[in-house]
Amino acid sequence: MRVTQGRMIDISAAATAASQAKVAAASTEVTSGMRVQKPSDDPAAWLAAQRADVRRTLAEGANTAMSTSRARLDDTDAALLAVGESASQIRMLAVQGSNASYSDANRRELAVQVRALFASALASANGKSADGEYVLAGATSLTRPFNDDGTYAGGSDPRDVPTSDVGQAVSNLAGTALTSASGVDVMPLFLRVAEALEANDPTALQGLLGQLDTGIKQVAHSRTRVGGAMSVIDQAQVAHAQLGVTLSSEISRQVESDTVAAATNLAKASQQLEASRQVTSFVISLVNPGR
Amino acid sequence: MSDLMSLLSLGSAGITAQNSGVSIATNNVANANTVGYSRQRVDIESLLGAPNVGGVRTGSPQRLGDSILQQRIRGAASNLEMSRSFAASTLSLEQTLMGGGDSIDQQLAAMFSRFGAVSASPTDLPARTAAVGAAGELVAGIGRRAAELDAQHTEANERIRAKVAEITDLARQLAETNLQIARTNNPVLKDERDRVATKLSALVGGNAKIDPDGQMRFVLDGGAVLVDGQRAAKLGAKTDPVTQNANVVVIDGNSERDVTTAIGGGSLGADLKHRDQTLVGARTALDQLAFDITASANAVHTAHAGADGVSGRPLFKPIGAVTGAAAAMGLDPDVEADPEKLALAAIGTGPGDNTGALAMFKLAQGKVASGGRTLTGAAQDLVTTVATEASRAKSDVARDELVAEHLAGLRDSLAGVDIQEELTNLARFEHAASAMTKFVTTIDEMLGTLIDRL
Repeated sequence: MRVTQGRMIDISAAATAASQAKVAAASTEVTSGMRVQKPSDDPAAWLAAQRADVRRTLAEGANTAMSTSRARLDDTDAALLAVGESASQIRMLAVQGSNASYSDANRRELAVQVRALFASALASANGKSADGEYVLAGATSLTRPFNDDGTYAGGSDPRDVPTSDVGQAVSNLAGTALTSASGVDVMPLFLRVAEALEANDPTALQGLLGQLDTGIKQVAHSRTRVGGAMSVIDQAQVAHAQLGVTLSSEISRQVESDTVAAATNLAKASQQLEASRQVTSFVISLVNPGR
Repeated sequence: MSDLMSLLSLGSAGITAQNSGVSIATNNVANANTVGYSRQRVDIESLLGAPNVGGVRTGSPQRLGDSILQQRIRGAASNLEMSRSFAASTLSLEQTLMGGGDSIDQQLAAMFSRFGAVSASPTDLPARTAAVGAAGELVAGIGRRAAELDAQHTEANERIRAKVAEITDLARQLAETNLQIARTNNPVLKDERDRVATKLSALVGGNAKIDPDGQMRFVLDGGAVLVDGQRAAKLGAKTDPVTQNANVVVIDGNSERDVTTAIGGGSLGADLKHRDQTLVGARTALDQLAFDITASANAVHTAHAGADGVSGRPLFKPIGAVTGAAAAMGLDPDVEADPEKLALAAIGTGPGDNTGALAMFKLAQGKVASGGRTLTGAAQDLVTTVATEASRAKSDVARDELVAEHLAGLRDSLAGVDIQEELTNLARFEHAASAMTKFVTTIDEMLGTLIDRL
């Protein structure tokens, strides 16, 4: 095949330009650390990375919900702990008050203590989380759940939160756990103890002891449920952290460059460019030997 | 005496022939870097030898060209420009869909993620505001892309109009060159004609052939004749009143023929394909996505209640039709103005219920988009479709460049000017011309001697 000098120069110039383009592409990959800079570089890899990224974003939403819920469960547990401690102390006072040796005045003093413990338990049961919601109010979380007489006025359904893009877990405990729906009406029971003490009625007090036992168990059981929910969320958060690592490595595997391979490609492209330049110089000297 | 006179004539013809060789070699060297120049060769023919005197005759310079190869070069130019222009357009479209922050699927995921987060504290105003904000960003992202697709559509029409005018001008040049070739048969004009025809092919594809009468005929894809010898039709761009598309028509005298769908080559073919297929596909997919997002999110939102206990409010402004949905998409003004109206609770419960928030979060996994896909999946498919086309177009460019390069090599092998070869020819013809001059001088001296002795 006949090849003119002009053609030889064109071929070597085109080869040099192609080598320069390869060096530029390899340099960009090395400096950016990205093998896929735009979807058309590798549509399949981009799609896989994007799917992982969407899952990661959704999981982040779930994780935020879990963190909020975990803090609320801590607040709920603290409230139940306080109510439980009040219940235990009230039971102790009720046992004392039911003793036949106690006088009317002694029982009135005990009643004052019981009312104080009731007030403390009521304040705890009407406690709020950091975002201003009543922790034991269920769905009516902006309304004070326990009235002054201890009756429950809140919602009955617990609230679920997402633990992943598909899973859910219980995130709170409605105050119905402390009502007759779950055993006895715990808060009004405290008042009834105070009233029996004030009425100097040891028989009634003895009758309330069994209900107090039930109430104490009820609070303990509620705390167990809260603890279980906390445990589920803790495990979900551990799983979330693992999922985050998996998704990040998937994204990295799909679109980020292998540093060693990218650097090797850059070195190869640079050598190729140098060789192309030398060939071009040689061709030019061949065409114009006088230069 | 008469023989000596014949020899003198022979010498004269020989000098003329060798000088032609020198002239053509010089012309070749002068045009060594002229794009599209085909080298020429002197056509020297030997006359009859003994018992006659013999001699040499010079014909017209011979142009070294191959019309079939030239046809292949035009085809390659058409394919290369088609793939280059299409690759540039699809990469620009890809940039539109991906540029300027998060992609649509990421914005969708961010919105659903915000609903997931607010499900843990549905009465928290900052969390509600964040969810409304994410929905607003999604609306803005889709609206911006719809506007940019419209802008690309307008730009494609402008490019088409400009190219149509350029093609008409080149067709006129081609017909004029045909006319000049018919008059003078100058090889340089044939080079010019090839150059114009290649430029036309690169713009519009088509097929150019040399008729038996030596005139070039340029036919567009689909059979419409653009140039027939010395007669050129015009190409026009007529605006469709409905789509506002610039449709391409061939105007020949009083007749018009719409060739918009027929043109499948050159950069004009790429612009038409981009406008009528890729852009339309992307716009339709974006509209469908906006419609699906609006319909599915509103279905969830209207079935739940805001913090004020009111239900039935949409999250996005309701959209009646798929066409134009992306541009029409917007947040419901009530919800946008007051995030407390974001419907996160079941109807009849309290503001602390999060059933609506959970339902909205679950929508991310619901196959509610057209084709039984998730909404994020549909958004990803929109980009992947364009990206796959762009990737294929880039491969096409690489392939077509190789073909064009190969054909350029073949053309160079046949018609390219090799300076060393021409310098050698120059020396050869120069030496022959000198020798012929000496020959004539010798004959002249012989004649002089003869005349002196008479």
